[in-house]
Amino acid sequence: MVEVTEHTRNVLLEVAKKRKIYVEGSFLKILKAPKGDKEFEDYLALCKEKDIAVRKKRLEVTKKVQSQNKDLVAKQEENDSLMKDLQIALEEAKLSEQEAEKARAEAEKLRDDAVEDLELMQKKTQFELISTIVKVALYVIIGVGILTTVMYGLALFSGTDTQIIGSTWSNMFGILLTNAFSIVGTIMGVKYATEKD
Amino acid sequence: MLIDDEDLFHLVFEDACSILDITLSLEALNSSDEADKLFKSWFPDDPNHERPECVFVDLNIIGSSFNGIEMIDKINNEYGNGCVIGIISSSDDYQEIEKAKKAGAQFWIIKSDDIEPRLEEFRNDYDGYVNKTNPFKIYK
Repeated sequence: MVEVTEHTRNVLLEVAKKRKIYVEGSFLKILKAPKGDKEFEDYLALCKEKDIAVRKKRLEVTKKVQSQNKDLVAKQEENDSLMKDLQIALEEAKLSEQEAEKARAEAEKLRDDAVEDLELMQKKTQFELISTIVKVALYVIIGVGILTTVMYGLALFSGTDTQIIGSTWSNMFGILLTNAFSIVGTIMGVKYATEKD
Repeated sequence: MLIDDEDLFHLVFEDACSILDITLSLEALNSSDEADKLFKSWFPDDPNHERPECVFVDLNIIGSSFNGIEMIDKINNEYGNGCVIGIISSSDDYQEIEKAKKAGAQFWIIKSDDIEPRLEEFRNDYDGYVNKTNPFKIYK
């Protein structure tokens, strides 16, 4: 402890009185009033009181700042975490988009394949239909040709008048042959067009 | 002496100690490396150099080569002890507390917004730490 001299004591008291300046900080703790100097003891007590008040105030402010700092750090961490989550979500969305794009491309390919299959099936059906029609038409032509020829032959062998049946047979045969060629031509055309597609 | 990486805590600690009349002067350091340098310079070249009466070390000192427990271990086992020493930390991890005890810490003060009551309790027990008669204590 440091006991102040009379001169120092007087200066300190005067400064406190006139300028309201008091000793503070750690230095205050080592100052000792001369024995029996009540005035200086009161002065030191007042200095301590003021010093504690200032420190309390500063402590309060520092604690507030410290708490705000902690909040800021926590919020920053929260923000960082959110940003990280957002980044992950964005990456996942990008990945999903890519997968969706892939799925769309696959679906389109499947659709195209299906359309192609359908067209092929339709063409096949058409071709089968045409083939059936042609077969039926050819059977009819051959049937009618045979029937007319048999009737004409019977007429020739039985010695009946063959004028009508003869011209009918000839006309019928001409028509049938023409139709047969026409059918064959149509078939060839359809076949050619189908193959070209 | 206070070894803590948080500057604001230096102010809080200094004011709290001053208000409670615990310290006359406080040397606050930001890293255990700085403290290590100081203790190294005092020992063994100047083993009688006046040391801090009491050292409060933070557990996790960011930016330092070693943590508070390692610092205590160094001071106790490499630099000849000679002071009251303990941890001041917001952590109350049981395993860390045990490690600190083994390293020679005499106390563990839990940091919080309201540190003054703990420091006041510590001040009341302080003589026991100086005489090495107090057992290890946690100030919650």
